[in-house]
Amino acid sequence: MKSKFTKEVVDDLADKLLIGLTEEENKMVLDEFDIIDQNIDMINQIPNINEVEPMTHCLDDFEYELREDVIEESISIDELLQNCDVYTDREIEVPTVVD
Amino acid sequence: MAYMEKSIEEIHEALKNKEVTSKELIEESIQKSKEVQKKYNAFVSILEDVEEAEVTDHLLSAIPYGIKDNYSTKGILSTGSSNTLKDYIPFFTATAIENLNKKGAVAVNKTVMDEFGMGGTGTTGHTGIVKNPWDPSRMCAGSSAGSACAVATGVYPYATGSDTGDSIRKPAAYCGIVGYKPTYGMISRYGLFPFASSLDHCGVLTRSVKDAAIVVDAMKGIDKNDMTTWDSKDIHLYDSITGNVQGKKVCYIKELCDIKQYPNASEELKEHLKNFHQQLDLCKTIGIEVEEISIDSKLLNAIASTYVVISCAEATSNMSNLTGIIFGPRGEGDNYIDMMKDYRTKGFSPLIKRRFVIGSYVLQAQNKDRYFHNAQRVRRLLVDTWKELYKTYDAIILPVGSGPAKYLDGSLDMLNEDTAALEEHMQVGNFGGFPSITIPDGFINGLPVALNITGNCYDDENILNIAYALESNMNYKGQIAKEVNHG
Amino acid sequence: MDKYKVLIGLEMHCEISKTNTKVFSSAENSYKEIPNTNVRPVDMAFPGTLPVVNKEAIRKSLMASIILGCEQPEYMYFERKNYYYPDLPKGFQITQETKPAPVGIYGELEFECGKENKKVRINNLHLEEDAASSDHYASYSTIDYNRAGVPLLELVTEPDLHNADEAVAFLETMRSIYQYADISEADSKKGQIRCDVNVSIMDSDLDEKDSSNWGTKIEIKNVNSFGGVRDAINYEIERQIAKKEDGTYDDMEQQTRRWDEESGKTIYMRSKVDAIDYKYFVEPNIPKFKIAKEWIEEIKKDIPKLARERKDIYKNEYGLSDYDATILVKEKDISDYFDQTIEENIDPKIASNWISSIILGHLNKNYLSVQDIFVTPKMLAQLIELVEGKKISSKQGKEVLYKALMEEKEPTKIVEEEDVRQIGDEDSIKQVVLEVLKEQPQAIVQYQSGRTNIVDFLVGQVMKKTRGKANPAMTRSMMIEEIEKR
Repeated sequence: MKSKFTKEVVDDLADKLLIGLTEEENKMVLDEFDIIDQNIDMINQIPNINEVEPMTHCLDDFEYELREDVIEESISIDELLQNCDVYTDREIEVPTVVD
Repeated sequence: MAYMEKSIEEIHEALKNKEVTSKELIEESIQKSKEVQKKYNAFVSILEDVEEAEVTDHLLSAIPYGIKDNYSTKGILSTGSSNTLKDYIPFFTATAIENLNKKGAVAVNKTVMDEFGMGGTGTTGHTGIVKNPWDPSRMCAGSSAGSACAVATGVYPYATGSDTGDSIRKPAAYCGIVGYKPTYGMISRYGLFPFASSLDHCGVLTRSVKDAAIVVDAMKGIDKNDMTTWDSKDIHLYDSITGNVQGKKVCYIKELCDIKQYPNASEELKEHLKNFHQQLDLCKTIGIEVEEISIDSKLLNAIASTYVVISCAEATSNMSNLTGIIFGPRGEGDNYIDMMKDYRTKGFSPLIKRRFVIGSYVLQAQNKDRYFHNAQRVRRLLVDTWKELYKTYDAIILPVGSGPAKYLDGSLDMLNEDTAALEEHMQVGNFGGFPSITIPDGFINGLPVALNITGNCYDDENILNIAYALESNMNYKGQIAKEVNHG
Repeated sequence: MDKYKVLIGLEMHCEISKTNTKVFSSAENSYKEIPNTNVRPVDMAFPGTLPVVNKEAIRKSLMASIILGCEQPEYMYFERKNYYYPDLPKGFQITQETKPAPVGIYGELEFECGKENKKVRINNLHLEEDAASSDHYASYSTIDYNRAGVPLLELVTEPDLHNADEAVAFLETMRSIYQYADISEADSKKGQIRCDVNVSIMDSDLDEKDSSNWGTKIEIKNVNSFGGVRDAINYEIERQIAKKEDGTYDDMEQQTRRWDEESGKTIYMRSKVDAIDYKYFVEPNIPKFKIAKEWIEEIKKDIPKLARERKDIYKNEYGLSDYDATILVKEKDISDYFDQTIEENIDPKIASNWISSIILGHLNKNYLSVQDIFVTPKMLAQLIELVEGKKISSKQGKEVLYKALMEEKEPTKIVEEEDVRQIGDEDSIKQVVLEVLKEQPQAIVQYQSGRTNIVDFLVGQVMKKTRGKANPAMTRSMMIEEIEKR
């Protein structure tokens, strides 16, 4: 079952992504999405598509080593905070976080 | 001829023979950067106070180069061409750049790109659009627009790029130069600002295949900070270039290359495909076997949407660290939600916001299977199809896009219904992590066009060698952009 | 209460504290007072940083999975859980979902509750990263990234528990497992353990095996102590029963509540319909990883003896009582201390007495853990040997041990310096015995007239003269011998 992609859905998604959209931007998303949706319809016509295992990684024939449990030196506090606009002593400050 | 217009081998020779010093090269490159900046807006930063480097036996020592602005560079502004990072100065350098710097390479500027690589026009960077040096009314394509523009104008022999869909290979084509992205994981992505992690590749833009080999030899290597890298110490790209292609087999896809597939073809497309077929004939004359193969159009037509769905989904998540809390200009707001939202709304361009919304939609629980998982399934079908071909052929050779660079004013970087598989087929190179190189193969109305060669994973030496042989038998190696006037 | 049956499921988060580094970052994994001292670039999500998986964190997770009787996956995957929060620098948490399979699925654990054995099914066990920690002030909050990226094991049970006692007994068993397997200190005072509890009630005449008979599931978030778990469950059971009784139960929607320690109440947070969509997808930066069968076998062999196993040994091989064995295995550090003491050739029963009476008493009284005390198992063993070899009396031994614990001095040194020695050689004792008899002629008369208990008085006199050092038993027998001679 596919859900409807509407202006309200777009605004709700944008809101959850913490971005504001103008009316015009909202409309552009809808237009662009129409094309994607048509193409996805096409994809769904590919026989046995559901039996294909989704490809989640670029190389999946890939053997790798896990990292050994060895500590690397921590980054200095000056460097950690050099791009931060609001901090106190050694810590970043944000407006009070209430649950 | 200016030194910065020469090949890496030639410049190295000149340095070795003391015809020129590192300092003079830097001065030339910075001077040229300023000219190019004025005309085409290719740079986010020009590094005025670069120190000269010692000339060693390494081919790249003491030679200037450019860095796409999505590579993290210690102490140097790194914006990803986004307002969200407009003042961001990292405290660490990307592994690929560190590898170049260790060899004595000298970075002289950071190049403009589409914001975080999410675009194919070179028009969405926060410092403005990049113009095509062959015709400033046209785009460079993107996202590595500034890098392509700078290499094409002779600012230096090479610049780094990144490629998620075709972000190195498309702008290289439109600017008449070489664009190469090696097999996924050959170059570390540590310190590359991510767009879509399963598709992102580092690579390079140069004016010749050999130069591309030299640079990637220097950039590559397994990295403890990137689990997706692998050991490539037995791969020697530069050393393995022989130009001998006897017995090599390549194929091209009928559904993409046959003019009969395009009943409403423009004059440019007709010429582009005609030119491509001429180069196929050239392949045959130098000993390469060429065959036409056929692939289900349904699959080819799904490439673009597959790419959009996967890349937008990963991008939405990858860029969730951009909240203005740890870095970036702090947003305004009484609570943390408003604060983050203010920063993100002001910081991202409309294009990116649209892509985030799409990415978020396709990942929603009720939509995920239909969109995201199906896209991942088609990704596998496409990759398997390509891999099947690699059992028979050394490479797949295809034209890049539907002609030369597009006009800036007509460019809307959106999927539109006319988008043909021809424009987007190079994205399969990202789906499968395949080594893929674009080289110029001709001109249409004085503007460069290109072809692309894509091979199987880990087979980079073979691909570069075929590209080199072809390049050597065409006349477009080492070319510098000349503005053309269309009356 | 009997009218209703209670079904309780737990989600237990426990930090893996026993690795050197964090799970996806090579920053040190340790608790630090000073904020932002254990931070690598990836822990604050600087652009371009990537996760790199810690082998030891995987090993420890697999060990937990094996202990819980779970299946281990053939390939290891991680997923992104996407949401925005100031303590989550990447904007997503790297975790595992049930599909693809996490580090463990479908296990079962037997545990003791009171004297009964209970079983709980494990739905899954997964490995994830912890978030940063924040401090809250009136007008702002601050963020410390030391905790960001610390490995965290989340265990999800089926709703197989039926009351607060069972829930707490299960959690205590898990804490013990994590400690014994050297996975975590599992210290809730350090915030290493956090629980979500779900509680529902159903009519007790219905079949619990049929999930359609279950009541409405109420999830209680962020209960951070075992006491809290107990209180929250009991509160929630009462609250739900009251709803049944007044007929409003069926109007109650599936919901998430939080436990408010101060008021001792659960408070409504959000309805199930407002559940957050976390947009999970497989983390592309961590390639899938094959878990070799050989590795699993190796890990199985490396599992240390857990509490239950040790308890069986203590009872069956060492002959300790169930009570003593239970006390000794309650904390791994104590059990280790005991094991190390008997390794010095001390009789287990004797070692057990010393440890449970004096050492544990000292720890409890002073809120110490066994690592905090000066007296090592070896020192304790040396002291016990002195007592057993009758070099000092057991009363002296106890006093010396107290002193050693308080003053942080080696027991043998105390014995030496203060000349705490039992006089054990016959000649010395005999000399004093004769001395006493000489001074107390009337006592001999009384003895001879039948008051044999006068011996106690005479032995006391010997003790007085030797300041308690004379071996009491030897003194007594010698005293009787000498009187009988007269």
